[in-house]
Amino acid sequence: MPIDLDAFKPAYQKWVEESLSDWRAGNRKEIVKKYPLITPDDIPWTAYNGQPSNQTFALVTSGGLYLKDSQPPFDTESIHGDTSFREIPKTVSRQDIGIAHAHYDHSLAEQDINIVFPIQRFVELENEGIIGRLTDTHYSFSYVNDAVSLVSETVPELISRIKAAGVDVLFLVPV
Amino acid sequence: MGLIQRLVEEAGIPTISMGNAADRMAHIKPPRAMLVRFARGSMFGEPGNVKRQRRIILDALEALQTMTEPGTIQELPYRWKQPDPE
Repeated sequence: MPIDLDAFKPAYQKWVEESLSDWRAGNRKEIVKKYPLITPDDIPWTAYNGQPSNQTFALVTSGGLYLKDSQPPFDTESIHGDTSFREIPKTVSRQDIGIAHAHYDHSLAEQDINIVFPIQRFVELENEGIIGRLTDTHYSFSYVNDAVSLVSETVPELISRIKAAGVDVLFLVPV
Repeated sequence: MGLIQRLVEEAGIPTISMGNAADRMAHIKPPRAMLVRFARGSMFGEPGNVKRQRRIILDALEALQTMTEPGTIQELPYRWKQPDPE
């Protein structure tokens, strides 16, 4: 069953109204506890067939990664979070990646980006033939509270892009 | 991320994710996940542990091929700054 946005929407709007002052005051722990988590009953499933060595992989991180020279950082101020994503090329250099995410300590990822976005490891596995292909484009999200926009707008766009790229498996790394 | 994963799986692309919070994962019910005991912002353990990063990804590739039950979560044995099991 698709995610029930009709039930979530009013609960989320109420949460935003009640939480705004705490959000602005920086009392984030309090309002996170009150967030109207979506709790689906079912679990979607697409059977996995074939071998990784014949397939195309893509990565998604929620580490707030963006390309410092060519992409805007994520919005880290809004109570809604930022529901957009950034495309990160497989050939990216570490020094080109910025991190815009106000809800985790970046210091470890600054030392080694692979702990939030294991791109170098996947490139190695592609070179060794353990996976068939690592797609050219990967994706980063950041902190999101507005699940309505995420589910109805952003994720359909992500799905259309990864399908167009012939992605067989998506590997997701949250922070 | 759980929502993103669910929607992509629903759209017909198999997914596998990392996670570090069993209680949150029980809420959002990802189709396939690897559970680690590492803090937020470091799902592969301490920075620079290349061997472990690789091992976790290989564990996930194996899990992709062996998990047959929707919602399977496999707990991994790795611990922060401790040697990995043989």
